[in-house]
Amino acid sequence: MTFNKICLSLSVAAIAGLNIGSAAAHDMVPGKAQSSPLLLTGLTVHTVTNGVKADTDVLIIDGKIAALGQGLAAPEGATVLALDGKHLYPGLIALANQLGLIEIEAVRSTDDSTEVTQTNPDIKAKVAYNADSEVIPTIRSNGFAYSMVYPSGSMLMGQSSLMQLDAWNYQDAVVADGTGLHVRWPNASTLGSRWNPKPADEVRKANAKQLEALQQYFKDAKAYYDAEQAGLNKGVDSRWHEMLAVFDGKRPLFVHADDERQIRQAMLLANEYQLKLTIVGGRDSWRLAEELAAAKVAVIYTAPYGLPTRGDENYSQAFVVPKTLQDAGVQYALSLDGYWDTRNLVFAAGQAISFGLTQEQALRSVTINAAQIAGVADKIGSIEVGKAASLVVSEGDIFDYLGHKVTHLWIDGRAVDLNNRHKQLHDKYQQRINQG
Amino acid sequence: MTKARLSLLSSALLTVFTAGSHADQTTPLQGIIDKTPNFIALTGATVYTEPGKKLQNATVLIADGRISAVGTKVSVPAGYQQIDASRYTLYPGFIDPYTQYGIEAAKPAKPGSYRDAPVYKNERKGGNASNAAIHAEHNWVDQFQPDSKAAAELRKLGFTAAQSARFDGIFRGQAFVSALTDGLPNELILNPNGPQFMAFSKGSSKQSYPSSLMGSIALIRQTLSDANWYNQAYGKTDVRYFNEPIEFNAALQSLSNIERQGAIFETADDRSLLRAHQLLTEFKLDNAAMVGSGYEYVRLDEVKAMQRKLILPLNFPAAPAVEQVADQLDVNLADLRHWERAPANAAALANAGVPFALTTFKLKDKKDFWPNLRKAVQHGLSADTALAALTTVPAAIAGVADKVGKIAPGYQADLVLATGDLFADGEIIATWVRGQQHSIKAIAPVQFAGDYQLNLNGKVVKITLKGEADKLSGEATLLAAPADAKAVKLQHIHTQQQRLQFNLNLTELSGDKQIAQFNGQLLDNQLSGLWQLTTGSQAVTAQRQPLPDSSTPDKAVKPDVKLISSITFPNRAYGLPALAKQQNVHIKNATVWTAEQDGVLENTDVIVRNGKFDKIGKNLSTPRGFDVIDASGMHLTPGMIDEHSHVAIEAGVNEGTDAVTSEVRIGDVLNPEDINLYRGLAGGTTTAQLLHGSANPIGGQAQVIQFRWGESAEGLKMRAAPPSIKFALGENVKQSNWGDAFTERYPQTRIGVETTIRDAFVAAKEYNAKLAAYNKLSKRQREQVAPPRIDYRLQALVEILNKQRFIHTHSYVASEILMLIELADELGFSITTFTHILEGYKTAKEMAAHGASASTFADWWAYKMEVQDAIPTNACLMAEQGVNVSINSDDAGLQRRLNQEAAKSVMYCGMSEHDALKMVTINPAMQLKIDGVTGSIKVGKQADFVLWNTHPLSVYSQAQQTWIGGTKYFDINIDKQLKQQLEAEKAALVQKVLNAGDAAKAGDKDAYKQEEPEWHCEDQGDWWQIGQHLHRHSHSH
Repeated sequence: MTFNKICLSLSVAAIAGLNIGSAAAHDMVPGKAQSSPLLLTGLTVHTVTNGVKADTDVLIIDGKIAALGQGLAAPEGATVLALDGKHLYPGLIALANQLGLIEIEAVRSTDDSTEVTQTNPDIKAKVAYNADSEVIPTIRSNGFAYSMVYPSGSMLMGQSSLMQLDAWNYQDAVVADGTGLHVRWPNASTLGSRWNPKPADEVRKANAKQLEALQQYFKDAKAYYDAEQAGLNKGVDSRWHEMLAVFDGKRPLFVHADDERQIRQAMLLANEYQLKLTIVGGRDSWRLAEELAAAKVAVIYTAPYGLPTRGDENYSQAFVVPKTLQDAGVQYALSLDGYWDTRNLVFAAGQAISFGLTQEQALRSVTINAAQIAGVADKIGSIEVGKAASLVVSEGDIFDYLGHKVTHLWIDGRAVDLNNRHKQLHDKYQQRINQG
Repeated sequence: MTKARLSLLSSALLTVFTAGSHADQTTPLQGIIDKTPNFIALTGATVYTEPGKKLQNATVLIADGRISAVGTKVSVPAGYQQIDASRYTLYPGFIDPYTQYGIEAAKPAKPGSYRDAPVYKNERKGGNASNAAIHAEHNWVDQFQPDSKAAAELRKLGFTAAQSARFDGIFRGQAFVSALTDGLPNELILNPNGPQFMAFSKGSSKQSYPSSLMGSIALIRQTLSDANWYNQAYGKTDVRYFNEPIEFNAALQSLSNIERQGAIFETADDRSLLRAHQLLTEFKLDNAAMVGSGYEYVRLDEVKAMQRKLILPLNFPAAPAVEQVADQLDVNLADLRHWERAPANAAALANAGVPFALTTFKLKDKKDFWPNLRKAVQHGLSADTALAALTTVPAAIAGVADKVGKIAPGYQADLVLATGDLFADGEIIATWVRGQQHSIKAIAPVQFAGDYQLNLNGKVVKITLKGEADKLSGEATLLAAPADAKAVKLQHIHTQQQRLQFNLNLTELSGDKQIAQFNGQLLDNQLSGLWQLTTGSQAVTAQRQPLPDSSTPDKAVKPDVKLISSITFPNRAYGLPALAKQQNVHIKNATVWTAEQDGVLENTDVIVRNGKFDKIGKNLSTPRGFDVIDASGMHLTPGMIDEHSHVAIEAGVNEGTDAVTSEVRIGDVLNPEDINLYRGLAGGTTTAQLLHGSANPIGGQAQVIQFRWGESAEGLKMRAAPPSIKFALGENVKQSNWGDAFTERYPQTRIGVETTIRDAFVAAKEYNAKLAAYNKLSKRQREQVAPPRIDYRLQALVEILNKQRFIHTHSYVASEILMLIELADELGFSITTFTHILEGYKTAKEMAAHGASASTFADWWAYKMEVQDAIPTNACLMAEQGVNVSINSDDAGLQRRLNQEAAKSVMYCGMSEHDALKMVTINPAMQLKIDGVTGSIKVGKQADFVLWNTHPLSVYSQAQQTWIGGTKYFDINIDKQLKQQLEAEKAALVQKVLNAGDAAKAGDKDAYKQEEPEWHCEDQGDWWQIGQHLHRHSHSH
C-alpha cells in the first residue's frame, strides 16, 4: 500500500510538473553534437601546456580544437562568438569523487556509492552513475566538464571511470572506462578512534591483521593471474578475473591512503607486483614527496581545504601540500572526494595558489595532470589543436571568487546548458519577490 | 629483656592480635573475654611527630591503642614491652583520603551500543533521586566491611587509615574514615560522616540523561539547588504552589546539609578541575576538596586562586611510544611535555603554596606509589611537604585531624616504622594501627653476616655470610688453602629467626664427593650446630666475626632533574610562551573595510588605544610610545564573527536525550586548548557563538566567545554578549537519521515539534506565574509555605519570554520556519536568528516581518533531504528582502575562511563586496547583539581586527595578524617561529624518552588528555559511554 501511495503521489507531481513545464524547464537537456564550425575570438587562452595567450582565437570543428591563434579566419558556415577579454580554460576535471552515485547523502535509497565485502575489484562505479542527478548541473556551472567516479568501501573497492558531465545516460557519459582499481588501505595509525578508543597495542594488532588480509587478496589474485597465463584456471573467478588487467599493467592501482605509513606500505606492494600506483587522499604525502617523485607515484590530493591532520601540524599544513608536491616533482591532481562540493574544487585550487602554486601549476592540477592520471591526456586536459573541444569561459580569473563567472561550457564541442536546480529555484522565488 | 625480644621475633611477618582489640562494647558476653594487655615502648628511634618536627633517639609509648607519650626524655615505664627501634625512623601512619576501601565496587555499565534503545527514566526505589547517577542518599559507612587483603596492601605502603565511598555516579554518597586493620567495623570507624564524593561521570547509570559533560553539570546544578529548596520546603503543609505535599526525597535530604558535610570532587585534568571549582563555588561549597590529575601545573595561578585542598594521584604517565620512528606520527608535543612534567607537578603545587594530600587512587599497581613519590621528591618535592601530604593534610580533609596524622599523646597509635629516610631510599618494616603491630619484615633481625671458622672432617672451613637474614648469601674456603683458591658458594641458605641452614658441596672445596649440610643456630654471636655428612653428624661451634661496616650514612635526596620542556598558554603545540598582552598601536596606510556606512577607506590609519579603536583617518601622527605597523598594501577588516560554531567545546555538543534541555550550558564546557581557536585566528576569525547541537527542539544555552588563545575557559567568554539559546527544527530533532532504536521519543514529526515547543512554553509561563505569586507574599507568609522549586530548564524559557535570552534556531525548510514564527507570535516570544535557514529565501518576507535575522551556509546542500532546496543565492535573496544575513561555518574548517564563504555571494548573485564582508562581521555581531562593542571599525569599539595581505574577499587573501581588544593573538611571522620551536622541543623530548630507556615505559598509558573530536551539530551519543561506543553522524549539519 505504501508503495502504491508513493507511486501515486509521484505521478501526480509529474503531471503537475508537465503543466508548468513550459514556464521552467525541470531538467537541462544535453547539448547537441557540433554540426558547424565555431570560432571563439578575443580570448585570453590558458592553454595549460603552452602558456597563456592573450587576445587569441580558437576554432572548433567536429568537437575538436582545429586551430588556435590570433586573427583566425572563420571557415564557411562557422558561428563566430566574440568573447573579448574573457578567459578560456580547458573544461576542468575532478578526480576521485562520488558525483552521480549519491543524490542525498542521508537518504539511503539515493546512495549507490558503497558496496559490502572487501573484495570488489569487479564492480564498476559507472553503472550507477545517474546522468540526471540534480547535482551534476551545479558542478558544470562552475566550469567542470569531467569527473572520475569511484565506488567506495573497504579494501578492494572496485573500478573507476572518467565521465563527461553532459550526458543522457551513463553509457554516453563514459570517456574512459576502468581508469583504475581503487583500494582503501587499512589503517596504519596506532591511535584508535576517539569514538571507540583502544590501546595502541590492540590497534597495532588489528592493523597488522587487516594489512595481511589485503596482501593475501593480492597473492590470491596473482595466483589466479599466473594460473590464467598457464591455462590452469578451471573457471572464472569474477573478482580475480577483473584484476588480470591490473597485473598486466593496463589498469593502474589507486590506493586511498592518507597516513605516511599506509603510503609506504602501498608503495611496497606496488613495487612487489610492479603496478602503476596513484595515491588518493595523500594528506601525509608531503612527508615523503621526494620518494614519491622518485618512484613515479602520482597523488590525487583530496585535502586542499583540509584541517591539519594532527594537532601539532601547522594551521596551513594541508594548504601547502600541493606546493610541496610540485617542488618535489610529484605528479599530482587536486580533488575534494565528495559529490555536491566538487563545484568548490576550482576555488580550492585557487587557495593552493595563495599557498605557493603558480596559476599555471594550479590549473594543471585540475586539467592536464588529472587527465594524465586518468590516462586520457592525449584527448583532454589542455587547449591544443587536435584535442577535444571541452572548454570553459569565465569572465575573469576562474580560481577567484572575484573573477569566477562561467558563461560558456562546451564538452566535445557541444554547448552545455549552464542552468541548474539552484538557478531555477532562485528564479522561481524571485517571482515571489516580484509579485510583492 | 630477652623475653621481650623473643616475643618480638615470634611476631615477625605476622599480624599481632595481642591487644587493642577490646571486646565490643555492645555485644553481650560470649565466651572468654580477651584481656591481653598492649603496652609498648618504641625506643631510640628517629621520630617525625608531624611534618617538619623530628626527634632523634626518641621514645614513643603506646597504651591501649593510643600514643601515651613521645619524646627524647621519656623513660620506659614498668610493664611495657620494649622494642629497640634505634636503627629506624618512625612516621605518623598515613591517610589515604580517596578510596573505595571496605566497599563493594559498582558493576560497570554494560558496554553500550548506539543500537540500544535510550533509557529516559530511572527506576524509583524508596526515596531515591529521579536520576540514576545520583546516589547522594548513601551513607557508605552502612556498607563498611573491613577487608584484610586490601588493608594489608595499603599498610605495606604505610597507610593506616582511609576515607572511602563508592566511586560511582555524579553524587556518590557520604564517605567515612576507617582504620586499616582487622576488627569489628564499629571500632575501626574514625569518622562515620565524611564528605560527599562527587564527579562529572555518571558511572554505571543506564539512564540516557546526562549524555554529555554539560548535562552532568546541569544535573549537579539542579540537584544542589533542589537540595536547598528541599531544606526549606519539606514538611511544609501549605500546598498553594504544589498540588500535593512535598514528596520525600532521600537524596535531597542527604544533600540538604552538604555545606556541613563537605564534598570531594574527582576531576580529570586542569580544565575539569577549574570547571568543578566554578560549579562548587556557585553553591558556596568552598570547603570542598578536589581530586587532582597531575595536570595542575598547567594552570598553576588559577589552581592557586581556587584556595582549595587537592588530593593528588601519583599515576605518572608512561612515555609516549617513540621507539619506532613511524609511531612518532601519533605522538604530540603536549603528551611529551606531560610525560616530563607530571612528576614535577606536586613540587610545583608545593612551591605555589597549594595544600595537597596524596592518594593511591588511579594507580593500576599500588606498588608504584613509593617509587613515584620518590620521583616527585627527586623533582623537587620536599620530604616535609610529602609527609604532610600523607598525614596532616589528608587527616584534615577527612575530618580526623584530632585523631590521626601525628605522633602525639592522645592520638591513635598509627605508626610507620622504616629504615632510614622513607622519602629517599628507606623501606617500610612495620606499621601499627590502633596499637596493633603489622610487620612487613622482621624488626631488628638476627645479624648472621660475618666470618665463621668451622671444623669439618678435620679441616677448618672459613664460612663468610653476607646480607640481611632474608637475603643471605655465603661462600666457603679452606682456611689452609692458598689465597687465590676459589671460594665455593653456599647453597640453599635458609634462616628462621636464629636458626641457620645451608648446604656446601665438598667436591670443589676438598675433592670429597659429597654435599655437607649444616643445621644450627646463632645465639649471642655464637654459632652452634651440626654438619650432616655421609659418615654421620659432626657437632661444631664458631664465634661470629662481624664484617667491617660497609653501609653508607643516609643521604637526603637532592632534586637533580632538569626539565627541558616549556609550559605554554595553552600548554600544547602553538601555545604562546606567555599570555598575550594588550598593545597601543598605530596602523599606517591600510585599506580599511569599516563595515560601517563609511565603506572601504583607502590609505587610512587606525590608532588603537587601551584595546579600543581610538582614531581612524589619514596621515595620523603616532602617539608617544605607540607601536607602529606599516600596513601599506594590506587590508584591515573587523575580526570575523561566526554565528554558529562548535569549536572549543568539551565532552559532547548535544545533550540529545530529552526533547527539551534548556538547562544545559555550553559555557560550562569550554575547552580553551582546542587548536581550532588558533586555526580560526589564522583565518581571521575572532568571535564565535558556540551553539549546542541540534538534537532536540529546545537545546542548550549558547556561549559567545572570543578567540583569546592562551586564556583559560573563563577568559574566552565574551561578557558583553547577552544570553542566547539553541532551538532546532526538522530532521535532527525528530531523530530521522539516528537509526531504528530512536523511534520513541516525542516528537518524531515536525507536527510534534510544534507541540513540544508550545507545551514547554506553557509550562514556563505557569512556572513563572507561580514564582511571581510567591514573590508577592510577605516574609511571614513565605515562611509558612513551601517555596516554588527553581527549575533551570523552565527558567531559561522564562528568560526568553522576558527578552533576556535570545533564540538561534537551527532550521531548514519553509514550513518549519513559518510554524515557529507563528508559534512565537502566539506565545509572545521572538526568534533572533534562524540559523542554517537554507530555505530562508522562500520565507524571507515573513522573517523580515517578524524581525528575525538569518545565518546561513554559503553553498551547502544535498547532504540530507531537508537541504534539497538549498541554493547558493539564499543570502542574496534574503538580504534583498530586508533580512539581516550572516554566513556561518558550523565547521572548524570553514571557520577559517568565512571571508571566502562571504565572497560566494559576490560571485553567485552580485552582492556588493562591502555588503558581503558585513555578512561575516557587523551582521553576525547584530545577531549576537554585540554590535555595540565589536563587528566594525569604528571609534570607541573594541579593537577586534584582521590585517590581510590582499583583498579580503579574494581566494588569495591570508590573514597576517589577528587582534582582539587591542591584543595580538596571531601573527603569521610568529607562527613560523612557533613551528620551529615546537619541532625542536619535540625532537629534544623524543631524545629524552629514548635516553631514559625502559624506565620511560613504566607508568600509566591512560594518564594523558584525549584530543577532542571536531564537533558537529548532529554529533550526539553518550559521552560517558565512550570507550564502548558512540553514535556519530558524519557530514550532516
